[in-house]
Amino acid sequence: MRFDKPRTFRQSISWVHTWAGLLLGWLLFAVFVTGTLSFFRNEITLWMQPELHRAHDDGHAAANALRTLERVGSGAQQWTISLPGPRSNVVNLSWREAQPEQAQGSQSRGGGRQQPGLHRAVMDPATGELIEARQTAGGNFLYRFHFELYGMDRAWGRWIVGIATMFMFVALITGVIVHRQIFRDFFTFRPAKGKRSWLDAHNASGVLSLPFHLVITFSGLMLLGSMLMPTAVSSAYPEDSAAYGRELRGLGNAAPAPRATGEAAPLTAIAPLLAEGERRWPDAGVGSIVVTHPGDAGAIIELRQARGDSLANRAATERLLFNGVSGKLLDAPPAAEPSTVRAIQNVLSAVHLGRFASPLPRWLLFLSGVLGSLMVASGLVLWVVSRAKDAPSAEPSLAPIPRGHRLVQVLNIAAVAGLMIAIAAYFWANRLVPVEQAERNLWEIRTFFSAWGLTLIHALLRRHKRAWIEQLVAAGALFAALPLLNTFSGGAHLGHSLASGQWQVAGFDLTALACGLLLFFAARGVIRHVPRVRPGKAAPAARPATRSPRPAEATAAQAPLPLPLRC
Amino acid sequence: MKPDTPYSTCFADHRPSLNITLRSVMAVFGGYGVAALAAAAFTVGLPLPRTDAVMAAIMLAFLVYTVAVIWVFATATLLRSAAGLAIGAGAFAAWQWLAAPGGAA
Repeated sequence: MRFDKPRTFRQSISWVHTWAGLLLGWLLFAVFVTGTLSFFRNEITLWMQPELHRAHDDGHAAANALRTLERVGSGAQQWTISLPGPRSNVVNLSWREAQPEQAQGSQSRGGGRQQPGLHRAVMDPATGELIEARQTAGGNFLYRFHFELYGMDRAWGRWIVGIATMFMFVALITGVIVHRQIFRDFFTFRPAKGKRSWLDAHNASGVLSLPFHLVITFSGLMLLGSMLMPTAVSSAYPEDSAAYGRELRGLGNAAPAPRATGEAAPLTAIAPLLAEGERRWPDAGVGSIVVTHPGDAGAIIELRQARGDSLANRAATERLLFNGVSGKLLDAPPAAEPSTVRAIQNVLSAVHLGRFASPLPRWLLFLSGVLGSLMVASGLVLWVVSRAKDAPSAEPSLAPIPRGHRLVQVLNIAAVAGLMIAIAAYFWANRLVPVEQAERNLWEIRTFFSAWGLTLIHALLRRHKRAWIEQLVAAGALFAALPLLNTFSGGAHLGHSLASGQWQVAGFDLTALACGLLLFFAARGVIRHVPRVRPGKAAPAARPATRSPRPAEATAAQAPLPLPLRC
Repeated sequence: MKPDTPYSTCFADHRPSLNITLRSVMAVFGGYGVAALAAAAFTVGLPLPRTDAVMAAIMLAFLVYTVAVIWVFATATLLRSAAGLAIGAGAFAAWQWLAAPGGAA
C-alpha cells in the first residue's frame, strides 16, 4: 500500500485499520483482557481470600454488623455496612473516626485509598466475627491495570491507555467502513483456509458484539475524557478546572452533613427499617447502611438501594433517611433526574463499569469482552498470517523472515499467550506465597510481571510455532489446575461451593477450567496446523497453476480477498 | 502520479515513506489539535448547562478526531489533508471566539 500512488478510499481506510490496530494492539489486548476480568473483580478478590469462602449469610447480617461496630467502632463519626448480596458473601464494614477539618478536606484526593481515620474490616454475616483475610492485590490490581497500568505515575498510565483507546476507536470505525458485507461476514466462517479463516474469525468476533466494542471503547474514552480533552473543561471553567469535577459530583446528593448533639442515645432496632427498605425496593433490596453519629441523639441511619457494585455507584441509587434513635422516616430523596446528555453519559459508563445487580447482563458483558479480546488477538495474528511467505511445500521456508515480521511474531506470542500465563501465575502466587509474607500483595504483582517477562524471553528464544504451542499449553495447564489449587490451599472446592450455592467461588473455578480447556483447544489447533500449500502462487514455472492437483482449493486461494490486506 | 493529474502535489507526495510519515503525524497531532479546538468550541457554543456542555463537547470531540484521522489518510494529496485540518481548526476556533462570553458577540 503506497500513499504516493492513486488508491481507493477503501484501500486507504484498510491501511488505517491495519496499522491503528497493530501499533498498540498488544497493549489493547492486555487492556481488554484485564478489563474483561474486572467485570468480576469482587468475585476475583473473594476467590483470592480463601479465608472468606466459609462465610455465609443467615439473614441477620445487618443486626450482627451493628453489634460488631458498637464493639470495634464506638466513638466513630460514621459507620458504613455493605451487606452481602449476589456478588459478596461477607459484610464489608468501615468506620470513620472524627477528624479535624483540614484532614477532611484532603480526603477526596486519595481516591478512597488512604483516607485518614478510616478503618475497614470484613465480617462473617452469620457469626458477626471479624475475619482476618490474607493481604492480596486481588481483582483490584487487574482493574487498576486496565486503565492506569502499573509502576508509573497514574496520569501517565491513564494517558497511555487513553491513547490506545483512541487507536482502538479509530480501528473499530475504519473496520466497519471496510466491511461492505457486514451481515454476510457475520454468518461466514471458512475453517482451515489459512488467512481466510483468520479473517473470518476476526470479522465474526468483531461483528458479533460490535455494539459492545463501540460502547466499551467510546465510554472508555469518556471516562478519561476530561483528562484527554482538557480544552473542553478549561473553556467552560477558565478559572478553576477542578470545579468541573466538584459540580459534577455535587449533582447527586448534596445534603449537608447533620451535626452531632453530644447527647448519648441508643440506636433503634434495624429490622423494621430494613423491612421498609425491602418494601420500597422489592427487586434490588437494601445494599448498604450508613450510620452517621452512632450512639448520639442526633444519629441518622441511611439505607441505600442495592446495586451490583455499591461503592462505584454514585448518583443513581435511591436512599432512605431515618432518625437513628426513634426510627422515624425522615426523607426519601429521589435519585437525581439526569439531563439527556448526562443520561447518555450514565448509560455509557454504567455499561463500562458493569453497574448491574443481576448476573445475566454481567455475564453477557464478560462474554462480549472475551469476544473483543479474541478480535484483537485474531487481528494481531492476521497481520502475521497475511504477510507470511507462501510456503512452496509443507517444509518450513529457509528464507529468513524480515526482522519486523519476527518482532510482531514474538510480541504476539508474549502479548497473547504470555499474558494468559502471567494472569494464571498471579492466581497461583496468591495461594503459594506464604500468608504471613510481608508485602504479600506486591509479591503477587511481581509474580505477574516476572511471568510475563519470562514469556517474552521464551518467545524470543524458541521457533515461532513451538513458542505458541508451549505457551498455550502452559497457560492452559495453569488455568485448568486452578480449581485443584483452590481445593488444596484452603478455598471452598467445587463440590462444596456448588452444593452450598456459593456462586462467586464456583463461578471463578468453572471459568478458570473453561479458560484452560479453551487454551488447550487453541494449542491443539496450532499443533495440527500445517502451512497450506498455495498451488496458485507457489507453483514454479515448470508446473503451471492450471495443473494443480487440487483445483477447487486453488481457485479459493486465488479468489480475491474481500479486503486489501497487504499494504 | 500522471502528469495530467488534476491535483497539485508537492515533492513529499512522491516519496512513499515521507508521505506516510507526514500523514501519520498530521493524523495524530493535527487531528488532536482540531479535536481539542472542537471541544473548546462545543463547550461554549452548545446551548446547554455547563457540565452537560462539557460532557457533550468531549463526546463530540472524539468523533471529530476520528473523522479528522480518516480525512487525512483518505485524501489524494498531502496538501488536501493539511488544508482540511486547517479549515476544520479555523472553523472551530472562529466558533469558539464568536460564542465565548467575552468574544465578538
